[in-house]
Amino acid sequence: MKRAGLLIFLWCGLPSLLTAQIGIYQHGTVVRMHMGDCIAAGHGFMMAFGSPSNAMGPEPCPEYTLVSDSVVYVIVGKMSNSLIPLAETIDFRLQKNELAVRVDDAKHEAKFTIKEMIVRSEWERVRRHMDEKVRASEDHEAER
Amino acid sequence: MSKFLGTMLSRLSRLLLPLFLVTPICAHNLLYGQSTPRESEESNLTYHRTVSEVRLVFFATDERNHSVEGLQKDDFAVVDDELVIRHFRSFTRSDLTKLDVIVLVDSSESVLPQFEQETTVVLQLISQLPWNPGDYLSVLSFSGMETHLVCAGNCRSSFIGDRLASVPKGGATPLFDALEIAAKLLIQRRQPDVWPVIILFSDGDDTISKVAFKGAMEKILASEAQLYAIDASGPGQPSNGSETLHRIADDSGGRFAGISEGANTIFKDVIDDLHSARVVTYRLPKSNSEFHSTRILPTHNLKLQFRCRRGYYYHHRSGSAYPEDGP
Repeated sequence: MKRAGLLIFLWCGLPSLLTAQIGIYQHGTVVRMHMGDCIAAGHGFMMAFGSPSNAMGPEPCPEYTLVSDSVVYVIVGKMSNSLIPLAETIDFRLQKNELAVRVDDAKHEAKFTIKEMIVRSEWERVRRHMDEKVRASEDHEAER
Repeated sequence: MSKFLGTMLSRLSRLLLPLFLVTPICAHNLLYGQSTPRESEESNLTYHRTVSEVRLVFFATDERNHSVEGLQKDDFAVVDDELVIRHFRSFTRSDLTKLDVIVLVDSSESVLPQFEQETTVVLQLISQLPWNPGDYLSVLSFSGMETHLVCAGNCRSSFIGDRLASVPKGGATPLFDALEIAAKLLIQRRQPDVWPVIILFSDGDDTISKVAFKGAMEKILASEAQLYAIDASGPGQPSNGSETLHRIADDSGGRFAGISEGANTIFKDVIDDLHSARVVTYRLPKSNSEFHSTRILPTHNLKLQFRCRRGYYYHHRSGSAYPEDGP
C-alpha cells in the first residue's frame, strides 16, 4: 500500500519537481491587464497573425501583457475567470503554442493562449512613443 | 619623460582640485547674490504644483466571503486603466476615518406599501451604526418630481422619526435625480480623510428623472461613495429595478440587500464594511482617457476577492479627479 502511494506521489509530483529542478521556467512581470474578447480554442498565436480574433460569447476573457527579459507576450485566458496572480515576478513556460503560468498558491499551472509576441526593445520603443504622446496631450490640455 | 609628465600632472591636479571644489559653492553664492535685491518679492511668491493621487476604498474577502484581517500591501495589485500598479503611496485601514453618510429614502407611490418598514429599517440603522463625533449623517427622501431634504449633517441628534413620517409621499420615482443630488452633496463636502457612503432604500424603478442612469452613475463615481442599495420592493414582488440597484451598488463598490432580509442583515453588511475597509493611494497613471476603470486583483492567493468602485473620472484640464461643476 505504502509502495503504491509512493508510486502515485512520484507519478504526480515528479514532472513538476523536474520542471522546477531543470529550471525551464522563465520569469516575467504582468504590466497590463484588461477584459477583452476570448480567442477561439486551437487558434491562438496563428490566429493573431491572420484574421481578427473571434468573439466566443458575451463573457469577456482576461488579456495580459507579460514582459520577460527579451520578449513581451500578450496572452489571453480561456475563460473569464482565468486569472494570473499579479505578483511582481511570475514563472511561466512555453508549451505547444500556449503559455503556462505557475500559480504559486494553487500549486498548478494555468494555460493561456498567446495572442501576440513582440521583441522587448521594440515594445519599449512603442511604449516610449505612446508616453510622449500622452505627455504632449496633457501639456496641450494644461495650456488651454 | 614620463616621470616629468607624471610630476606635472600631479602638480596641476593639486592646483586645480581646490578650484573645482570651490566652484559649486561660488556658483551657489552667486545665484543667491543675484536674488538678494528681490528677496522680499520672492518671499511672497507661492509655488503651485499639481499632485495627482488616486484614492481607492476597497474590501477584501476570502473564499468563504469572510473579511481578510491580515491583508498586506503586497497581497494585491490595482489595475488602473489597464495598467498594473503594485507600488502604493499609502495603504491603511479606513476604520479611523470619518464618515459622511447620506440615507436616500424612496417615498414614491410604488414603495408606499413598504414605506413603514422602510422607515423602521432606516431608524434602526441610524441608531445602531457606530458613529464617531466628526461623522456626518444626512437624510433625503424622493418622490413626485423632487428630492426633499429631511435633515442635513446632524441627523443623529435630530428627531428624525417624526421628520421621516411627514415627508411628501406618492407620485413618480425620480431615483436618478436623487442619486445625482446626493452625489453632488458629497462632492461639495469632500475632504481627504472622510469616507462618503450612500444608503439607498428604493425599488429601483425610476419613472421620471431628468438625469439618465449613466449621468447619475458618473456622479456617484465622482463622489467616490460606496452605495448600499436596499431593495424596498414588497416580498414576493421582485421589482424590475432590482437589477438597476444591483448594478449601482456593484459599480460603486457597495452592496445590495433586500429589505425583507431585515435591518440586522443590512446593518451587518454596512458594519462589516466599516470595519474591514482599506484605503490605498497611488500616483495617477498616465492616460489619455478621462475615465479610468479600476479593479483590484490578488498577487499570490487567487482565492482572495476584492471589491472597489468600478472607476473614476480624471479631468486633465482641471488636473482634478473630481467633476468640475458644483451641485
